[in-house]
Amino acid sequence: MTWLHRTKCSLLRGLHFSRFRRFPLAGELIVTIVLGVFSAHGWAQPVSTTAGERVYREGILPSEATLWGQRQAGARIGGADAACVSYHRRSGLGSAEGSFTIPPIIGTYLFRTRAQNVQDLDLPHVPAGGAHRDAYTDETLARAIRDGVRPDGTELSYLMPRFKLDDETMASLIGYLKSLTSGSVAGVTEQTLHFATIVTPDADPVARQGMLDVLDRYFADKNAFIRGESPKLVSSRELMYRVTRRWQLHVWELTGPPATWQRQLHERLAAEPVFAIVSGIGGKNWAPVHAFCKEESIPCLMPNVDLPVVAETDFYSIYFSKGVLLEAQLIAQQLPARAAGSRRLIQIFREGDIGEDAANAMRATQSATGVDVVQVALKAGGTPREFANAVRSIGSGDAVILWLRPADLASLPAAVPKGSTVFVSGLLGGLENALLPANWRSIAHVTYPFDLPDLRKSRMNFPLSWFKMRNITVVDERVQTDTYLACSILAETLGHMLDSFVRDYLVEREEVMLSYRLLNGYYPRLSLAPGQRFASKGGYTVRFAEPQGTRLVAEGGWVVP
Amino acid sequence: MTASVKSWVGAFVLTSMGLLGPAVGCAFADDMPDQKTHMHHMMGETMSPEAPDEHAHAHVHSHESMAGIKRSTAIYTPPSITLIRDDGRSVSLPAELDDGRPVVLTFIYTTCTTICPMISQTLAQLQSELGGDRDKVHIVSISIDPEEDTPARLRQYAKKFGAGPEWQHYTGTVAASVAAQRAFDVYRGDKMNHNPVTLFRAAPGKPWLRMDGFVTAGELLSEYHDLVASN
Repeated sequence: MTWLHRTKCSLLRGLHFSRFRRFPLAGELIVTIVLGVFSAHGWAQPVSTTAGERVYREGILPSEATLWGQRQAGARIGGADAACVSYHRRSGLGSAEGSFTIPPIIGTYLFRTRAQNVQDLDLPHVPAGGAHRDAYTDETLARAIRDGVRPDGTELSYLMPRFKLDDETMASLIGYLKSLTSGSVAGVTEQTLHFATIVTPDADPVARQGMLDVLDRYFADKNAFIRGESPKLVSSRELMYRVTRRWQLHVWELTGPPATWQRQLHERLAAEPVFAIVSGIGGKNWAPVHAFCKEESIPCLMPNVDLPVVAETDFYSIYFSKGVLLEAQLIAQQLPARAAGSRRLIQIFREGDIGEDAANAMRATQSATGVDVVQVALKAGGTPREFANAVRSIGSGDAVILWLRPADLASLPAAVPKGSTVFVSGLLGGLENALLPANWRSIAHVTYPFDLPDLRKSRMNFPLSWFKMRNITVVDERVQTDTYLACSILAETLGHMLDSFVRDYLVEREEVMLSYRLLNGYYPRLSLAPGQRFASKGGYTVRFAEPQGTRLVAEGGWVVP
Repeated sequence: MTASVKSWVGAFVLTSMGLLGPAVGCAFADDMPDQKTHMHHMMGETMSPEAPDEHAHAHVHSHESMAGIKRSTAIYTPPSITLIRDDGRSVSLPAELDDGRPVVLTFIYTTCTTICPMISQTLAQLQSELGGDRDKVHIVSISIDPEEDTPARLRQYAKKFGAGPEWQHYTGTVAASVAAQRAFDVYRGDKMNHNPVTLFRAAPGKPWLRMDGFVTAGELLSEYHDLVASN
């Protein structure tokens, strides 16, 4: 059965790269029919593991019924809560919470004895994997799942529910476990780890260069201490592993219209297999990249995007924050208090820039408030007169949000529209370097979704010193610090993984480890968990302290909207 | 072997299997468990699709505790901090705990998948077992991941477990959450380090009963009856 399943997978993969790629269902159907014809002769029972995958990941049975598991003391657990993924994780390598360890349940762990596990160099070693246990067979595993007993008759942990699955579903689930996190991993060789970084054409060119400089130097540093081949090491627990590998960076610069980017990325990945995507930079259209990472099941770790894709159940993409969408939430929360009498909210932004998306998100928050939202969309490359007219349209008693870049802010007239409440996007405007004219600086409420400059000073010493020592010109301090941070987090996480290079496991470990870090550049705190994809969740609102300079005054504390 | 070569080999082998007839194919069935012995269809024993129990109510069949609860008694002083209740109101923690009712206190976070669902499910069972007595008890769940657990998320979480008005969830600043955790000696640095703890106090001013481990609803219920009866 296993051989046949692997053949089916190979066939499907072959079809994937052919013209059937666009018709995955057709491909799957053909293969299933072909294999079904052979199975009708009773040689072997090809089992679709799709049912098993659904049980594992969603807690739904093939009949569409909810999966229910029975725990001791009568507690029942069902659906998503009962799904194996909630405990054993997507990789199947388990997890740990407090003093509770959830063991790995991939086939290569279950079907071998512990002694074999340890010697197996292709097995991803994980902290939870050391249970003393005989190897399972299909039969004893089915019994364990149904009755909660190991091959030797001892009982499984009381946390593990009993699941009464029918034979077919059980076979599918066991087949899924056998295929889960098995086989070779793309982008990982004996000596090298391959990573890619993705650059979209709509990214800011200055920030792009700054990011690439940081990545180049970081990767060079990583490899600087490696001389020759790194030998296999034996740990005190007799685990064999090799810790040190070279890092190799692939820069994938996308071209042309966004509709073509996913195809370009699939082609790049096929030509240059990489283990994960790290950092990267985008503009308004990150969605194709997010979709690519989801389709390819490849981690996409902390790109420099101020307009991410918000879909926290999409496993593979992790972001620093919701960017301008977070700013919209911060403003929405304060609007009733700061602009209490305002019946009208005017939002000024450039078409085609991310301010437009932020303004739309903001408008959505006001639908039930009775506030009249006026969207003033300036044409890209519009005239100064259009800009001036837009500003002049701000009336007394209006609230206004300026979703504008520094050049536009600098073009604001000297006089502030009287009686209006002004909000400015810190992200778009340049944070403490925002080129607001003097009179605006004293009244504008600037959203600031980072730690304040004074508060982050000591934490920033490290990355800034590193930039200096490596002769990296700081052209965009935030993007470059975030890039450095993304690399550091990746390095730290990989270090704790030993050589268990499994893509899903990398994401799972980042989820767990992120909140242990204390030094996070611009962010006071980074934290993730299963189902959380935005590591920093709040921000400040600030005002400029003086008509010139970068000194800020915080209006209130750190707020999580 | 590249993926595409493997796929052609696979296709070729399958084709030749088809041409050579069943004899070849049987060899692959060796490691298959004999289908006949597994004909005890589990259909009858499959959990029937009852109406999806969103509120995760369940019967407690026994009062056995799961794998050893550690019981202790302690005096804890809740700090005078402000928390945000799931209805959005800012409240004082001591005031919330001291309205005269017995208090069941736990610490959770909404995206926790291992420990908290069990704790919250136990509280849901307790709520159900209390029946008419339910409003006499104050069930308090404080978030240890307050930045993620906004009042809206807490309401969603509470709804999932069918929390009644006597069961409230709390969030706040990170500092406030940590202060509350420290006060009850549950702070372990990172949310991933947390362990199941349930705290029970019969009345304001009384000591707290601390149960480390997964306590069952039945145990909580009998604690409630014991402690309330003797106070």
